[in-house]
Amino acid sequence: MTRKKNMAFSIGMILLIAAFLFPLYWTVNTSLKTEQEIFQNPPTFYPHIRNLQSYKAQVSNGDFNMFRSFGNSFVIALGAMLISVVLAVPASYGIARYRFRGKKFMLLTFLFTQMLPVAVLLTPMFVLFKNLRMYNTWMSTILADATIGIPFSVLILKNYFASIPKDIEEAAYLDGCNKYTAFFRVLIPVAKPGVAVCAIFSFLYAWGDLAYGMTFIIDQQKRPITAGIFNFMGQYGTKWSYLTAFAVVVIIPVAFLFIFMQKYIVSGMTSGAVKG
Amino acid sequence: MTKVKRLGGTDTGMVFVLPAFLYMMIFVGYPIISNFILSFRDVTVSNLVQGSQKFVGFANYLELFRDSVFRKALSNTLFFTVCCLLLQFVLGFGLALLFHKKFSLAKPLRGITLIPWMVPITVTALIFRLLFATDIGVLNYMLKSAHLISKNIEWLTQPKTAMFALICANVWIGIPFNMILISTGLTTIPQELYESASMDGATRTDAFFKITLPLLRPTIESVLVLGFIYTFKVYDLVYVMTGGGPVNATHMLSTYSYKLSFEMFQYSRGASVANVLFVVLMLVSILYIRITTQGEEEQDDA
Amino acid sequence: MNLKKMTAIVLAAALTAGTLCGCGNASGVPGAEETGKADTQDSQAASPKETKDVTIWYYWETEGHQQALSKVIEDYNTSQDDCMVTAKYVPFDDFKKQLSIGASAAELPDIVILDSPDHAAYAQMGIFEDISGKFDVDDYYEGTVNSCTIDGTLYGVPFGVNCLALYYNKDLLDAAGVKPPTTWDELKTAAGKLTTDHVTGIAISSVQNEEGTFNFMPWVWSAGASFDEIDSKGGQKALAFLQSLVQEGVMSSECINWTQGDVVNQFMAGNVAMMENGPWQIPTMQSQAKDLNWGVTLLPKDEEYASVLGGENYAVVKGGNVEGAIAFLEYATQDEQVKYLMEHFGYISADKSIAENQFDADSVYQPFVEQLEYARPRGPLADWPSVSDAISLAFNKVITGGATPEEAAKEAQTTIDGIIR
Repeated sequence: MTRKKNMAFSIGMILLIAAFLFPLYWTVNTSLKTEQEIFQNPPTFYPHIRNLQSYKAQVSNGDFNMFRSFGNSFVIALGAMLISVVLAVPASYGIARYRFRGKKFMLLTFLFTQMLPVAVLLTPMFVLFKNLRMYNTWMSTILADATIGIPFSVLILKNYFASIPKDIEEAAYLDGCNKYTAFFRVLIPVAKPGVAVCAIFSFLYAWGDLAYGMTFIIDQQKRPITAGIFNFMGQYGTKWSYLTAFAVVVIIPVAFLFIFMQKYIVSGMTSGAVKG
Repeated sequence: MTKVKRLGGTDTGMVFVLPAFLYMMIFVGYPIISNFILSFRDVTVSNLVQGSQKFVGFANYLELFRDSVFRKALSNTLFFTVCCLLLQFVLGFGLALLFHKKFSLAKPLRGITLIPWMVPITVTALIFRLLFATDIGVLNYMLKSAHLISKNIEWLTQPKTAMFALICANVWIGIPFNMILISTGLTTIPQELYESASMDGATRTDAFFKITLPLLRPTIESVLVLGFIYTFKVYDLVYVMTGGGPVNATHMLSTYSYKLSFEMFQYSRGASVANVLFVVLMLVSILYIRITTQGEEEQDDA
Repeated sequence: MNLKKMTAIVLAAALTAGTLCGCGNASGVPGAEETGKADTQDSQAASPKETKDVTIWYYWETEGHQQALSKVIEDYNTSQDDCMVTAKYVPFDDFKKQLSIGASAAELPDIVILDSPDHAAYAQMGIFEDISGKFDVDDYYEGTVNSCTIDGTLYGVPFGVNCLALYYNKDLLDAAGVKPPTTWDELKTAAGKLTTDHVTGIAISSVQNEEGTFNFMPWVWSAGASFDEIDSKGGQKALAFLQSLVQEGVMSSECINWTQGDVVNQFMAGNVAMMENGPWQIPTMQSQAKDLNWGVTLLPKDEEYASVLGGENYAVVKGGNVEGAIAFLEYATQDEQVKYLMEHFGYISADKSIAENQFDADSVYQPFVEQLEYARPRGPLADWPSVSDAISLAFNKVITGGATPEEAAKEAQTTIDGIIR
């Protein structure tokens, strides 16, 4: 791209993305208004009276403590991410590279385990975790959250592995690798960007989960950060400024994480590796 | 073929896949079976804990098809899913192609575009409720300022516009999801292909249809089938934005199932609604498996 | 790998899961009769209550409410050594779900503080202990006691009560030259005069769920009908009245999406001049809208004054630490604790003798105490959620213009008859 073209294109894209992200602006805008101003007709495009109370209220509320909840969420999301990656990476490789009987059925399993709405899974899962002595522990939520990350990762990664030329394995075998060491030493490094995407998605699914965390954990002290939403939304209606401030606070750490990891996510495979 | 055979030891493949498979069977397979059994019984508030839970065969399902709210929810879910899927796929694809161009702000902008996907869905739903509000909503205000409408539109209290608002909100969340997955797919296409194609005198449109689309096919298939499943199960968004209203006009299978199970204590009927959802998705997935594995066999044979 | 092997693996996985669920019986059916019982015994064997702890589930999200409850619990814990009480917060939106799941998995607390119209359903489920004769509820408002009584058996104790009344914006009423309405006709006329480009006359939360029904029932009762006679002159009249408010533009059709919390926000922002709402909004309004000049009066009447009874009840769960739970409730229902809780909750005591002297004569709460005399309970009925659903469908249909009051009333009646027969 020429400099001029690059400029024009960048500006065009900025405008496009700005329009797309207008609801986010409105979230921030709402979080800084007083409840009365939020309900003003016509609406105001910036807060006329700035209200920071909504942000102060985030830190703690009754049993709720923001920092502890962030910690809980982090442990849960990291746990779910690890399980998903450890199980899904080999599975997707197996599906992409090998032919075996029952493969279609297994692939179908990864899909159909995604097909019931979470609400109907809750009761049987609850019984399961209760009998595993995991009720009211992080482990229950970690295990449940991984059931979202695994199938997703398998489906995405299998395409990734399939797009890696088979010559890579050939070369590894010539270097004395067997099927398993070839996978660990050669293929995983090549598939790193794909693995990163799946890891991050699994992390985000678990981070955003509300239903599992609320149902399987009954102690406010152990619940994830998403549970904080109920501080401002409940029997007495919605406190809009608090709720939107909550959203802003919850998004910031993941947004930074994501934007920071961005360059690893879509960096693509080095062309050298692809050619083998 | 020889390569495949050498790589494709039957047991090796199993060893790789089995742990994940068993994990899913234990933690989700069991709940699915249990939900099926529940749907063939008659479990309500009076026999959930005590008393016998009679086996009633397909009675719950037969009752469903006489239930006008259920029929509405089924057609709503299909309509909603198809609309959302088309819109978010096309727009997400478009964005991915734009970001694939090498302009200086591509990476940071793409990162920011992902943020809607990280907002808790409940909050997204509430924000869209605020945007679409009749009197205090900014959308009506902007439309009015631009003289596109003269009277405020009651977005969320009329069936058609409420559905439109739901689709808008869901597409807003879906675009980043589609964009990032397509972007990842695009990076797997070797640049050399385009270079040699353009040397052969192919136009950009040619390159898109002859190189990009075919090579992205597996990614597109995965994105669509995952998108279909996630959209078809839509729950939080509808529950918070319209609660299935006005007058049940925007109920989806998942919201209706939840309502029956946990608000009206008709557990078995709720389970059977969820199973209808399950069966529809099953059909779509079988179709997906057919298409993808067929493609694979063709490739292998080539 | 052949199909047989595959099937074996699948079965093994399912069986593993099944065994984990304590459902290793031949049919593998969860929640079936025998497993249900086994589960209950199992849970008690598995988690023996060494210290006689008492766990409470409640759903108040407001910090003030949580602190007031904690204070009473802490005081109780320090007052004796036998039993340690802890309270767990389960959000309102999740509460029914969590109770249902907990009931089928035999994992419930010892005390539940729940919304009064749901009490009958859970009592019917058989998860609550019969506590007849253990508490003196003679002084309590009759409706509140009814809400936790099934077939003459007492399954709970009222925590606190509330009801709905009419809030009005004094400044807007003065500017329009209208007095607070006392009858339906006056209400409609007043609302008409109050409606301008930026203000609608009245707001009544009409969401299609229990909250909407809660707000609609006073109008039904006022017109002389009841929940099982919606297709009557009174029922149709209530529906027609609501419809006319919307059609004449004095009430926003957005009310079908407005919760009571949304309604109060609209009222505080000056977008609506009058609203139907409860006393729990008072602390919020006093702190957030200091400049707003408002008053409360009885809901306008058609044939008679009416309001709806809201509030929570305590219930003791069967199979838990019943003794400890009852001991705590005996403590928590003493005058001193009740007064403390009610004051910090902005609630009215369910105990009439306390309620009548709870507020000064000039307090904004006083109209609610008066209104309480006319308040009736929903149900009590185990199938109330389904009845409520039929009723809320009816008023949503008339508000959106999807049906005439006659049609909507008839349809609701058919559904209700099918439920209660």
